[in-house]
Amino acid sequence: MSELLRIENISKRFGSFYANKNINLTVEEGEIHTLLGENGAGKSTLMNILVGLYQPTDGKIFLKGEEVHLHSPNDAVSKGIGMVHQHFMLVDAMTVFENIILGDTNAKEIVIDREKRRAQIQELAQRYGFRIDLDKYITEISVGEQQRVEILKALYRGAQLLILDEPTAALTDIEVEGLYDVMHKLVEEGKSIIFISHKMREVMHVSDRITILRAGEAVATVKKDEVSAQELAAMMIGRDLAASSFEKVISGGSAVAELDHVSYNRNSKHYGLNDISMKIRSGEIVGIAGVDGNGQTQLAQVLTGVIAPEEGTISLGDSKILVYDPNNFILRRTAHVPEDRNLQGLVGDMSIADNLVLRRVETDKFSSLGGAFLKKGAILSYAKEMVEKYDIRSRSASQTVRSLSGGNQQKVILAREMEAEPDLLVVAHPTRGLDIGATRFIRQQMIDARDRGVGILLISADFDEVLELSDRILVLFEGQIMGEFPGENPPVDEISLAMTGR
Amino acid sequence: MSFVSNLLLASVRMAVPLLLIALGELYSERAGMVNIGLEGLAAIGSLVGFLTCFISGSTWVGILCGALVGIAVNMIYAFATVTLCANHTVYGMAINILAPALASFIYRIFFGSGSDLSQITLMKTINIPILKDIPIIGPLLFSQTPMVYLAFLLVILTGFFFTKTQAGLNYRAVGENPKAAATLGINVIRTKYLACVICGALSGIGGAYLTTCYSNTYTEGNISGRGFIALAAVIFGRWSGGGILAACLFFGFCDALQIRLQVASVGIPYQFFQMIPYVATVIALTVIGSGKSGPKAAGKPYRKEER
Repeated sequence: MSELLRIENISKRFGSFYANKNINLTVEEGEIHTLLGENGAGKSTLMNILVGLYQPTDGKIFLKGEEVHLHSPNDAVSKGIGMVHQHFMLVDAMTVFENIILGDTNAKEIVIDREKRRAQIQELAQRYGFRIDLDKYITEISVGEQQRVEILKALYRGAQLLILDEPTAALTDIEVEGLYDVMHKLVEEGKSIIFISHKMREVMHVSDRITILRAGEAVATVKKDEVSAQELAAMMIGRDLAASSFEKVISGGSAVAELDHVSYNRNSKHYGLNDISMKIRSGEIVGIAGVDGNGQTQLAQVLTGVIAPEEGTISLGDSKILVYDPNNFILRRTAHVPEDRNLQGLVGDMSIADNLVLRRVETDKFSSLGGAFLKKGAILSYAKEMVEKYDIRSRSASQTVRSLSGGNQQKVILAREMEAEPDLLVVAHPTRGLDIGATRFIRQQMIDARDRGVGILLISADFDEVLELSDRILVLFEGQIMGEFPGENPPVDEISLAMTGR
Repeated sequence: MSFVSNLLLASVRMAVPLLLIALGELYSERAGMVNIGLEGLAAIGSLVGFLTCFISGSTWVGILCGALVGIAVNMIYAFATVTLCANHTVYGMAINILAPALASFIYRIFFGSGSDLSQITLMKTINIPILKDIPIIGPLLFSQTPMVYLAFLLVILTGFFFTKTQAGLNYRAVGENPKAAATLGINVIRTKYLACVICGALSGIGGAYLTTCYSNTYTEGNISGRGFIALAAVIFGRWSGGGILAACLFFGFCDALQIRLQVASVGIPYQFFQMIPYVATVIALTVIGSGKSGPKAAGKPYRKEER
């Protein structure tokens, strides 16, 4: 194998902050080289330099031994570097075909020669075993298919080096397997891949070599066969991880929430609930396992009053709910960590302090006359206390939450919801996209809350997370509960089978 | 019969300035630039078109200068919104306040504030042989000023550009998802400036059309909301050339109708008829306003190295 890419002493500075510092890296032909690091370790910045979106402050890039200067995405594309961004760079209002030919600089014709270019794309798709309908709009295809469009886009532009930025983040387990197949196929055909990830399991599964980034610096490059997951994790976060197993309990507490034959939009397989009956007791974590889009969103919504069930009833504590309204649920001591922290959990342009008191602003502690006049001082000192207590890493409590990293944003939500001292906590995908440190912190908080007697419903697409935290596991498939399993020594095979509807 | 054919003829004439301005806005919005300053651009284009025509005696010089001044004024908007990432609405509104006032100011410098209006000779109609003799459609479509033909031609070219060409596809991507466009090597900033040049030019021409092809003089406020109606026509026409043509013909028809009703009726205050085009706009937007909602990144600033 010969060397395809060499990066020498690359640095990138934003103001006084080094996102990358003196990074060295080589990628061989036909290699899957993983870039491993926590959120904010500088992975994406480094890749944006490689694709010509950012200009490095310092350092050199060599392709096949020759120094190159990548001033624009065009430069990178013409040198055979293609990237699949974590947030796909697709135009929703265009078809798959249009997205692939978009910005094509090789095309000399003014009017698009659809026949010819379709044939080219079909041929490529066939070679790599993609089945994609070119005439579908992006909004009509699944996330996994969108990713293939992105890969095809890069290949169509003649990419030799493909950069995949956290490609598994949005995929279901089955789609992830499909992605691995695609990656192996690409490498067989002589392409090189830079795989960016912070998930240990997939890194160990797919890489040839691994470079670990920490705080903007490359800590080490290792061969996969010569390292253990434990060692990688230690290098990545710079400290050793304790074994991460929590004690499971069987709660004898009273039910904090009960669903009695609840249905919502019952005919929809992906966005409905079909005759759900379940209990959540105080002092236990009930985990919902299942592939994303089997009614999880709706389950969280009926349990927090966002939507009302069409049939059946919900009881909180020992009283039946008559009015489905989020405020009614909040008054009955329900807390909610929603699935999309930016869309539903936080007001991005407001400060950490303001977000922390959002649901309790009318209490005497934070305002006088029931919310008419804010006690700014009290809010700020409370926020400082919370920043300390929940380890929210920020410059100040008046910083906007939009400027925080995902993990710290999630901690703000968690602080707000936990401090309300709920009886029932509904948590959806609490650690999605978070790094190891933040993930561990948030999981520990949930366990502590459970031990204090809070009843928790945990919805997560991360199967490992459900297994790790849940005292009881329910499997949701097409809006129905497929079975209940114990959290202590869970029968993993049976649960996986139930997740596929059997 | 002659009432109907005259009405239709007037509809087409009234539709053309709307069409020119609306097409300008289409190019603008397709690159993500929601320019609400059309009214102002048309106003200054109208005055400068009239003035240069008055001086040079050529309507074509008027049209050309209308386009140039439209571009020049729109560059204020372009610089503020593209380069400085300022709010589109604020700067569009600024143009709407600045440009008409500037137009009046220039007019008074040249013609004073007297009440007798200076006049120019309108652009001549060109009859297309044979075709013009087709009943009804003939005089409607083939016995018009060259500007009418150009406007219709532009509709066809625009549709072709956005749906058939690589450049049009790239251009559209800028308005839908500029970040994606940038990663594919499309120059987002340049496209946005180009959009502002086209929008400024067409809005200026739309304004100049009013003085050089429609009424032979300039009066203050002669745009009378056409910039905003054009804005509505883009939404009504669903961001497509053909749709915008239909929308402009509809609004043009309403405009032509109200003038005729004003003349024809007695007893009803004429202001009620004057309201027709605007009421039609409101109703049209209410009926069709929901649903498909245009380029996704319209009105959003684009920053290159955003973290």
